[in-house]
Amino acid sequence: MKTNMKINIGPQHPSTHGVLRLITELDGEKIVSVEPVVGYLHRGIEKMAENRTYLQYLPIVDRVDYLGGFFTSYAFCDAVENLMSLDVPKRAKYIRTLCMELNRIASHLLWLGTFMLDLGASSPLFYCFRDREKILSLFEELTGQRMMYNYFVFGGVRHDISSDWLDKVYNFVLELPKAIKDYEKIITLNPIFAERTIEKGILTKQNALQYSITGPNLRASGIELDFRKAMPYSAYGDIDFVISQSNRCDSYGRYLVRIQEMKVSSDIIKQLVNYLKSNTNEDYSLKINSVNLKVPEGEYTSYVESSRGLLSCYVKSDGSGKPYRVKWRTGSYYAVQAIPILVQNHNYNDLIAIFGSLDVIMPEVDR
Amino acid sequence: MILSKIKALIEGHLTVFKHTFKKNITLEYPENKQILPETFRGKPDWVSEKCIACKICERVCPAGAVKIEKQDNNIKFHLDLSKCIICGNCAYNCPKEAICMSKEYELATDNKKDLYIEINSNSEVI
Amino acid sequence: MNYLYFLYVQILTNYHIPKILADITFPIIPFCIIAAAVILTVLILVLAERKILALFTQRKGPNRVGYCGILQTVADAIKLLFKQNIDIDNSDKFLFNVAPIIVFVPAMLLWGFIPYSSEFTFMNFSVSSLLYITIAVLPVIGIILAGYASNNNFSLIGAIRSAAQIISYELPIMFVLLSVVLLSSSINIKDIVFSQLGSLSVLNWHIFPCIIGFLVMFICVIAELNRCPFDLPEAESELVAGYNVEYSGMRFALFFLAEYALMFIMCAFLVTLFFGGFLPVTSKYISEMIFSNSQYLSVCIYFEQVMWLVIKTIILVYIVMLIRATLPRLGSESLMKFSWYVLLPVSMINFIVIAIIKFFIEGGAV
Repeated sequence: MKTNMKINIGPQHPSTHGVLRLITELDGEKIVSVEPVVGYLHRGIEKMAENRTYLQYLPIVDRVDYLGGFFTSYAFCDAVENLMSLDVPKRAKYIRTLCMELNRIASHLLWLGTFMLDLGASSPLFYCFRDREKILSLFEELTGQRMMYNYFVFGGVRHDISSDWLDKVYNFVLELPKAIKDYEKIITLNPIFAERTIEKGILTKQNALQYSITGPNLRASGIELDFRKAMPYSAYGDIDFVISQSNRCDSYGRYLVRIQEMKVSSDIIKQLVNYLKSNTNEDYSLKINSVNLKVPEGEYTSYVESSRGLLSCYVKSDGSGKPYRVKWRTGSYYAVQAIPILVQNHNYNDLIAIFGSLDVIMPEVDR
Repeated sequence: MILSKIKALIEGHLTVFKHTFKKNITLEYPENKQILPETFRGKPDWVSEKCIACKICERVCPAGAVKIEKQDNNIKFHLDLSKCIICGNCAYNCPKEAICMSKEYELATDNKKDLYIEINSNSEVI
Repeated sequence: MNYLYFLYVQILTNYHIPKILADITFPIIPFCIIAAAVILTVLILVLAERKILALFTQRKGPNRVGYCGILQTVADAIKLLFKQNIDIDNSDKFLFNVAPIIVFVPAMLLWGFIPYSSEFTFMNFSVSSLLYITIAVLPVIGIILAGYASNNNFSLIGAIRSAAQIISYELPIMFVLLSVVLLSSSINIKDIVFSQLGSLSVLNWHIFPCIIGFLVMFICVIAELNRCPFDLPEAESELVAGYNVEYSGMRFALFFLAEYALMFIMCAFLVTLFFGGFLPVTSKYISEMIFSNSQYLSVCIYFEQVMWLVIKTIILVYIVMLIRATLPRLGSESLMKFSWYVLLPVSMINFIVIAIIKFFIEGGAV
């Protein structure tokens, strides 16, 4: 009698990007079914909000998505500011946008490196980390730490940026396209990479919408939806940029979209730096005292286009110093849901490649 | 078709090979340490003279790592580094700048007791 | 070999040692040399690989143990020696223990077939090239046993992949070997080397008529070695470590040793077939110019031949490492397709073309 092999990938596995568990049923090399199991990195970040003041919760927000601390930070600050109907100064908006775009590049670089490692190429990982390191050093200089920034505060940013730092950012952005060219030489036209990604893990338009997938994964399925354009927040309304999009629907398309997005981000950063350099005397923060912050009653949901899709933060306040309820909506969670349909009729080693192409990180899934 | 594939393969190999001649980026950690920026956040330091025991740091700490005790004319500062997430909230919100973030980041120890810091404003470290 | 034997006996008689003892000890010496050479080469190779991969990625590589990290692999080996061997429940203990040996012994044996110089050929059979190819396949039996005996799904998948890989990549190797045999009119490895000796020096190597054959064989050898981009049996991102996931300590060290020993010797085999083996790149031996009057000139030439072989092999090994650093892993389906649809037809066509060329050059006297 023929029985299928059941194989349990994870929670401890080199390429599950954290602690995802995939219960896989294999018929030879063919995948029969995959069942993702999440929850191994659950830290109760939503519940933690309920017994902390808004200010106490602020550093914890960075830990929702450790590769995109600025996105989560911004989402929470934006929600609270809207509840309090604060008008953030223009300079603060620009600084925030600059940080988020740099963060997007850093996040995509890490994705590219680990994706290539999942596919078996070792060198691109180091090149990507080399370039990401430069961004992290910039962040360290600006905020004091490399990943847990705690830089955005209610009503602006913690402290102003120096023109020296802006010069460094500008130099980095000028150098980045060269590095991306190198990656593309190694990866984009490589026939083995093409064979591993083209026509693999096809996410059709309907499926993408059904599973409410957002971000680069959605844009790779041919839907031009970018929340930076769709509902401009922060300084994106003033910025001129194109939405990177691909109609391929496969892993290769997702790769192309992210590479394109890095280039677009560096263009956005150039514009932001130019503005910030020419307008130095503006206010960078409302400088409200947030120790005894009382947020008026109400609820608000903020939307951020993070590097992994739509990140939204729902905050409900009952008028006291602590949030009544905080809910995070993260892009990775929906991407994990889509794994079973993506890997249909694929081989076992395509499972890892497809999963890698989705850019899932587990702390964001489990919160 | 085949030729373009071969060309792409060769180009990829040459790109990797090119990196042989590039500058090394390794930083050999214990001997060579990274130059830390001025804003770096490390272990929180407490300056006893400036402290007025307003306990704001206690209220803004997300992890409950800082504790201030006020006795007659002595202020006692407790810091539990095993809880501290070095977010800097205490330093940023202190009205008198009595807590500042030092540049100390090598905080691993063999003994958990070392992570619990207790300072009196009257005397030296107990 | 006869000359060396003569030399050896002569040296021993100088010290008044009876000839019978020389007869007994002489066959043992090659084994000692091979064993020492294998371990030394693997130690150097592992370090070299780590250093070279580090260079490609702008890192320093191991640089703590010893001067610039030269003792790193020695330290690793010592660590592996003292590590606990973990026995797995519900596994076939006998097969589990015997599998590393089955992998290691053939890898060692292969070292005897390569002619290191015109005299140093430890096992010189008339059909040595066929025997070499046959023995080179044997390690896969050990890999399958290891995968089966580990009682682990990951290692089982790895083992099956390895078997499939060997079957599909062995045929092109055979066809390319046949075309080389055709070119040199001999099935003995040493004669194949000597057939590349000629007035044209470098241009006489088999690489020039048979460049496509070399590329096919090079790809197949990488596949047989389970190295990137064909490292599906031990793909760390999917199978954790593949067939050796349950192995630790000395047993794992044997797998490791076998892998690198095979890598070196397979590259040496390629050099022997296509790049003139121990023949010099220069038209004349260097030692002929330096030690022209020495009575040990012939011995010097033997060692120079070894040097040439090693240099050529190192260049090939370097390319294998460069490929490892650059390319992603192939998919399991296209791995098979690549062999059966591309490599096998190409190697067959190459064989026919070589046969035709040979027919016209030699005027029909094949």
